[in-house]
Amino acid sequence: MADGWCTDTGESVYRSRDAVKNLRIRVRIQRVTSTAALSQHLHQQVLSQQDRGVIELDTFSSQTQAATSDAEELVVGWQEKFFSQYEVDLYQTESNCQTPLERQYHTEIMAMERSKRRQNQRIFTYTDFDRFSKWEEQAQSLLIPAQSTPTFLAELNLESRLITWEPSEEFIKNSHIINTPVQTMHIMGDLGPSGKLGLKENEYILCTIKADGNGVITIKPDFNNNRGAYRLETQGEKREVWRLYLENASSDIHAEEKEREQRMYRDLYTRHKDYLNSLVGQDFEMVRIIILIQTHFSAQGYEYDNLYVHFFLDLPNNWSSVPFHGLSGVTQTCRTSSVGKDVAFFSYPFSFETFFHKEDESDGSLPQWPVLYFKVLSLDFWQRYRTEGYGFLVIPSTPGYHRMTCRTWRPLQSGTVAELRRFFIGGAPELEDISYVRVPGTFKGKRLSRFGFRTQTTGSVTFTLNCIQHARAFIDASTLKKRRQTVLDQLGGHSQQGSVYNVLEAFQRARNRMQEARETLPRDLINTSAQLNSESSA
Amino acid sequence: MAELHIIGQIIGATGFPQNSLFCKWGVHAGGAWRLLSGLKEGQTQVDIPQTGDMAYWSHPIDLHYTTKGLQGWPKLHLQVWHQDSFGRCQLYGYGYIHVPSSPGQHRLQCVTWRPLGSWQDQLAEMFVGGGPQLRSPDLIYSGADRYRLHTVGMGTVELELCVILRHFDRYGVES
Repeated sequence: MADGWCTDTGESVYRSRDAVKNLRIRVRIQRVTSTAALSQHLHQQVLSQQDRGVIELDTFSSQTQAATSDAEELVVGWQEKFFSQYEVDLYQTESNCQTPLERQYHTEIMAMERSKRRQNQRIFTYTDFDRFSKWEEQAQSLLIPAQSTPTFLAELNLESRLITWEPSEEFIKNSHIINTPVQTMHIMGDLGPSGKLGLKENEYILCTIKADGNGVITIKPDFNNNRGAYRLETQGEKREVWRLYLENASSDIHAEEKEREQRMYRDLYTRHKDYLNSLVGQDFEMVRIIILIQTHFSAQGYEYDNLYVHFFLDLPNNWSSVPFHGLSGVTQTCRTSSVGKDVAFFSYPFSFETFFHKEDESDGSLPQWPVLYFKVLSLDFWQRYRTEGYGFLVIPSTPGYHRMTCRTWRPLQSGTVAELRRFFIGGAPELEDISYVRVPGTFKGKRLSRFGFRTQTTGSVTFTLNCIQHARAFIDASTLKKRRQTVLDQLGGHSQQGSVYNVLEAFQRARNRMQEARETLPRDLINTSAQLNSESSA
Repeated sequence: MAELHIIGQIIGATGFPQNSLFCKWGVHAGGAWRLLSGLKEGQTQVDIPQTGDMAYWSHPIDLHYTTKGLQGWPKLHLQVWHQDSFGRCQLYGYGYIHVPSSPGQHRLQCVTWRPLGSWQDQLAEMFVGGGPQLRSPDLIYSGADRYRLHTVGMGTVELELCVILRHFDRYGVES
């Protein structure tokens, strides 16, 4: 007898970029009575048998039209106030109105009564300002407020306004959950028997709409959308069943308004982008090639404690640096930490920049990169100082983040005397020229021999480097879209690799020119030239 | 001009002797750099981990720099402090780390060290707390005169930074 009910009364969330005040909802309620059901059934039958002309529609239309108070339809806008019979009765008497809101209702109701136009009988609304909304929400508190004691830091920081010492209920409710300000509206229906409207117990919530500032609209229950009516059952002695239909009656935005809105947004964004660009500016320092390196490091695995590192950077021939810029440094003395790992952390900032001059084109070799030499020493309480290790690190040729571990060694002298001396008094053989660690500066021959030099492995030092390379040549490279060239290719442009590349590039340019020229030629010329070519090749 | 975005968080600290820690951090850049938006220094909350060793702060870092040159690449310096149950604050470490120069997501460990006094100071520190502090925090990232310090290594601070570079390739910088 009854058509299918929609049982899903969960809330659904909509997002809208338009202002919520344009929202319109059409609400229709209809009481389910036996005659209404029967007449509806017959109505449907009639519709299907229309062609036979057996039953006339007119005879039944009067019956389907139930008494006006058993069905109602209303279009409700956002926060539009419709009065219930109860409210009309209540606010008609001036003495009942206490707050300014109620007084305003009073004037509206009087105006309405005078003009005798009343749109709604059963369906009415509670807007955000009515007391109903607040009661509903407060009755459903989600959390038990917790006490919080102030922390010491906050007490010390006297001008802190971050902490509220005596939070109110409202504050707690708002702060414990993510709470964006939400406006609520309830569409209510007075489902009492006709003639006895205006009783508070017969009020039922038909629909709850919440909208927040971000354009999120929550409607519970959702629009019917041809799913069937919602079923409302009244409490009380006579359990009556009502059908509820909700429909979105908001009008769509006009195309031109939409266009205007989009244009406005686009203007706004471009203007903001221009503003940011103007802040950023246009200039940048241009240099030949510089390498910018930032390092810090830690040392571990050494015999003695209280280590410090003395290091310097060695620049090969074509490299130069800003004078007075420290290329060497000594770190602080650090005792190895006893929490586990026996590591000494230096966290020493060492950043430097060097410039490369590509002077000699006839030089066939790849450029040499700077080398960082370092030595680890220990200094103890009795002011004994010992060398703990020597090592070196070649600055990597690729830019980016590198983390490298270098192992160190220390020179040994034969015999026990040297070791005893080192243990008791301190002092140890040191290298005179630290570049001996890698390739001594005075070395000119072909084979380096370190025969007879005795060393002992000691711990390791871990470096983290950030390398940036900056060269004018890179700009040209990127504009010509030669991204595959690395720095090495750029610098060694005179090498074989470079010359092959130059030839290829020249060929590419010629080919492009030929293709462009070809396009401008008329068609028949190209065909004849093709024929000629085939003849000549044959 | 080129732009640099630093978006990330100070995740937390581990490896310190005690656990109730907070961190004061700041970002320092050279003269050619200008901060367009974001806070360049701050202080985290005090975190006392219930389980495990790591104190988590998850403190957000969101900076937008613009620059005319490469010198003075931004550096992040940190001071880790310990707050005990009586409310006393004690320095637990200074540390500093360069903001990575290559774009992408980086998980960084910044190691920290703490200055040590004489043995009398250390004995007193064991009972009463306190301890020497740097007169001026600039020393963390300047490096000069560091050789006069006698320090001990402390724990590490973990950071996660995402670096976005803009227009650097236009000026020929490869990183």
